Amino acid sequence: MNPFTYSRAADVPQAIADLTAKPHAKFLGGGTNLVDLMKMGVEKPESLIDINRLPLEKVEELPEGKGVRIGALARNSDVAENELIQSRYPVLSEAFLAGASPQLRNMATVGGNLLQRTRCYYFYDPAFPACNKRQPGSGCGAIAGFNRIHAILGQSDQCIATHPSDMCVALAALEAVVRVSGPKGEREIAFADFHRLPGDTPDHETNLQPDELITAVDLPASKFAARSHYLKIRDRASYAFALVSVAVALEMGADGKIATARIALGGVAHKPWRALEAEQALAGKAADDETFRAAADAALANAKGYLHNTFKIELAKRSIVRALTTVTAKA
Amino acid sequence: MTAPAIEPRVLGKPINRVDGRLKVTGAALYAAEFNPAGVLHAYALSSHVANGSITSIDTKAAESAPGVKAVLTHLNAPKLKEPKPAQQSGGGIRNEMRLPLSDDQIHYGGQYVALVVAETLEQARHAASLITVTYGQNPPVLQRQPSDKGKTPKVNNGEPVQLDKGNANKALADASNVIVEHVYQTPQETHSPMEPSATVAEWVAADQLTVHDATQYVKGVQDQLSKTFGLKLENVRVISPFVGGAFGCKGAVWPHVFLAAMAAKVAGAPVKFAISRQDMFSGTGHRTPTTQSVALAATRDGKLQAIRHRIETLTSPVGEYVESCGARSTGVLYASPSISVEETIYAVNVATPTFMRAPGECPGTYALECAMDELAAELKIDPVQLRVINHADSHPIHDKPYSAKHLKEAYQLGAEKFGWAKRTPEPGSMKRDGLLIGWGMATATYPAYKMAADARIQMKADGTVHVQCAAHDIGTGAYTVLTQIAAEAVGVPVEKVTFELGNSDLPFGPVAGGSNTTATVGSAVYDAAKALHLSLAKLATNDAQSPLHGFKPSKVTLTTEGMLTAEEDPSKSDSFTEILKRAGKDSIESNGSFKPSLLKPKLAFQSFGAQFCEVAIDPAHPRVQVTRFVSVMNCGRVMNAKTARSQILGGVVMGIGMALHEETVLDPTTGLPATRNLADYHVPVNADVPDIEVHFVGEPDLEFNPMGARGMGEIGITGTAAAVANAVYHATGKRVRDLPITLDKLLV
Repeated sequence: MNPFTYSRAADVPQAIADLTAKPHAKFLGGGTNLVDLMKMGVEKPESLIDINRLPLEKVEELPEGKGVRIGALARNSDVAENELIQSRYPVLSEAFLAGASPQLRNMATVGGNLLQRTRCYYFYDPAFPACNKRQPGSGCGAIAGFNRIHAILGQSDQCIATHPSDMCVALAALEAVVRVSGPKGEREIAFADFHRLPGDTPDHETNLQPDELITAVDLPASKFAARSHYLKIRDRASYAFALVSVAVALEMGADGKIATARIALGGVAHKPWRALEAEQALAGKAADDETFRAAADAALANAKGYLHNTFKIELAKRSIVRALTTVTAKA
Repeated sequence: MTAPAIEPRVLGKPINRVDGRLKVTGAALYAAEFNPAGVLHAYALSSHVANGSITSIDTKAAESAPGVKAVLTHLNAPKLKEPKPAQQSGGGIRNEMRLPLSDDQIHYGGQYVALVVAETLEQARHAASLITVTYGQNPPVLQRQPSDKGKTPKVNNGEPVQLDKGNANKALADASNVIVEHVYQTPQETHSPMEPSATVAEWVAADQLTVHDATQYVKGVQDQLSKTFGLKLENVRVISPFVGGAFGCKGAVWPHVFLAAMAAKVAGAPVKFAISRQDMFSGTGHRTPTTQSVALAATRDGKLQAIRHRIETLTSPVGEYVESCGARSTGVLYASPSISVEETIYAVNVATPTFMRAPGECPGTYALECAMDELAAELKIDPVQLRVINHADSHPIHDKPYSAKHLKEAYQLGAEKFGWAKRTPEPGSMKRDGLLIGWGMATATYPAYKMAADARIQMKADGTVHVQCAAHDIGTGAYTVLTQIAAEAVGVPVEKVTFELGNSDLPFGPVAGGSNTTATVGSAVYDAAKALHLSLAKLATNDAQSPLHGFKPSKVTLTTEGMLTAEEDPSKSDSFTEILKRAGKDSIESNGSFKPSLLKPKLAFQSFGAQFCEVAIDPAHPRVQVTRFVSVMNCGRVMNAKTARSQILGGVVMGIGMALHEETVLDPTTGLPATRNLADYHVPVNADVPDIEVHFVGEPDLEFNPMGARGMGEIGITGTAAAVANAVYHATGKRVRDLPITLDKLLV
């Protein structure tokens, strides 16, 4: 851990001002990811700005039936148990409860969850000399190394790490909007545009600007969100990152067919992976096994595996079918 | 050794842990919690090269970083004396035979190359990141090379490694026999106790060293530190009152212990070296990976004609230790006219392995018990029945009778509690709620070990008793069980006894390994209690005021709690406290000892058990969930039903981890473990562990020791992985012969 200074921001404008004024500054929320990475010497901020006292912890209904706003400092456990979320966006509550442990969920914030660093043995442990994310240009340790937990979609020859968040997979399916504040004021980022694929710059994981603060996540009202479900497949029964996860949401038409579908995958890519091809394959079709399989095949059509993770392709397909079967059975 | 004269009052009672309150209130101090005045903190830099040498090392930036007091490398570290190879009994254990920072050579990934000592841990850690090392490197050799012929040691831990009884190859070539032959693999596994290893070293004088160390063997650490630093044995004090789990990784003396003492010498202040979780994966040993080929030959009606078990294990270039995977399990479990065990060891660029819970028996029973299940399927004989058919009534190799073996009862009770009779043998034939259900079983076994120990008992005039031995409670419940033994042997209520462990100033205690503590230390306590009774008897028989006056001291014995009675006239008794009061003594002390007989025993002492497992598997995403487990053990007397149950539970949980989760994967390029933290090295969490039923069968094994108890620390893990793997086969029809059984292996 490198030496750093610590300060506490009293309000949002001060937090944003401090971020630009202080050298190599980072915001500190629950600290459940950042502090680990600082101990390992992966993150080396020189200033930490504690934002835990900012008034950003509420979950509230937006006016005119426009949906629900989740404050960036709402704790994962509070959002998971929130009635609005449980009744209108069950996939999100399920995703939260599938993540980490109760102790971590009590600390972890929604904004921090969005900014979790991607997961890879070679990135998290600086003893490994090669990691393009940690040290641009140093190579990728995982491609020729141990890559069981790595990406099968959207990866580059620079980086095959995966995004670890469960929450974000649900938010991708729900077409959430990330609200941020910066020196130039507020702006909204569509969820699909928030996280980045690795490309040639795997060290840049999001499109959040260095002088911006996430203030909230908006969940739009939708016809599909109530019939939604999160399925997480992992190596043990609890407290493990997803090998593959699936967030699904369906709107059924009056004809009993699927009107619209939303599918996002976790554990397979550098960002929460929205499976647009699968959604298209479902729209207007009967909700049966054949349709589900076609959607699963479409979602994984461009997948590419490595020595230890090729199984994820088949696992992801089966998981999509299972999640769709489960959500269809929901009343 | 004879049985206690009276029915036990305290042995076998499920009393609560005597140290429970200390632990839950945080008053029990572990090694890293000791803070001598002015203590400094150490952090190690480890090699990310597994095969090569250090060509340059630049420590300037680290040396001038804030708070840094010293930076040790091979260039400036004090040269220690290489002690003679580890001796058994009494000598400390070292599995890594190279002292840290002794030269520029790199033998494995994760090897310590520098140690920073600073005022705070954070400063030391930061400074360590400022050191630059350049290496001359060769590609690491991480697997057995085809050209490597390996070594075939005859003996390991005093036991033969290779066995050859009858002619196994002939029986395996006999076409009238049914043959099964398969290769089973277990990965490198890491102990991962909750408490990472830590050493706090303080030079109290130029030639006097005190260390607080997380160890299973205070006398061993004392021995090795005295030899390497050239100190008188009594000038080295090793203190370890509580240990937060060990499972073998704190039994040998590892490089960090020497480094802490070295750093304290150089820095001129006490140094705390609490190693990181990452360093636990290369700095304190691991269970060697195994490749095991098991061939069984049997008649159509299931009688084994041959067991051939060929094992390949890996060790480091600077060690020799590997687990002996066949001799103590394959050589013990079943009656067979021919039994052959061959183990070959290959040195590769991996960190030095060590013993891990049931070393050898655990991976060995996994392979053999899976092979037995495959034979049962081949013969269409029930797996329990096949084991009963081949039950060994006497030791299969030396043909000695067992002291108290109740394995058939264990099978029977286990089958009954589990409901085994309802099992349908066809794989995939049992289903529940859309899940595939599988039932599997296996035999467990572990030897009954005794080592050497001394014990000292002090009885005060108020009747309280303090007992001392440099043995250990590594979380097992030894404090509790030894307190019960002392109360029983001396003849006082358990509340009057305190037991002191974990300090090298105390009378000799053995390593907390081989599940030996209860049997060994308990025997020494019985001996000391006998001496105490004799001293009290002498006082009484010489005292005209005593009802025992004039009797022969040797004919005065403990009959009732707190009383000595004349054998020749049971109406004549005197109490401990009266005897001491009249003698005007504040206290009386006695010493006892136990040494295993050098004569070959007439009986075979071995524990057995039966493991029954149910798994449920979703065929779509086939993660194995263990849903029920029944473990029936035969370990002689159950000294304390609570701590005994916990020992077996812990073993089974660790066995489930071995079956389904645990694997230390080495990165092929650097040779560093890629999974070297508890997020990536999976052990079972609560949700992976079902309700585990534990039962015990059999009677006290009084031929083994006066308590009648055999050890329980390790047997619970044996057979467990096989029971899980056999249940997975029964559920799915798939034999996964390499652990852990992760869902990808069942997808195809």
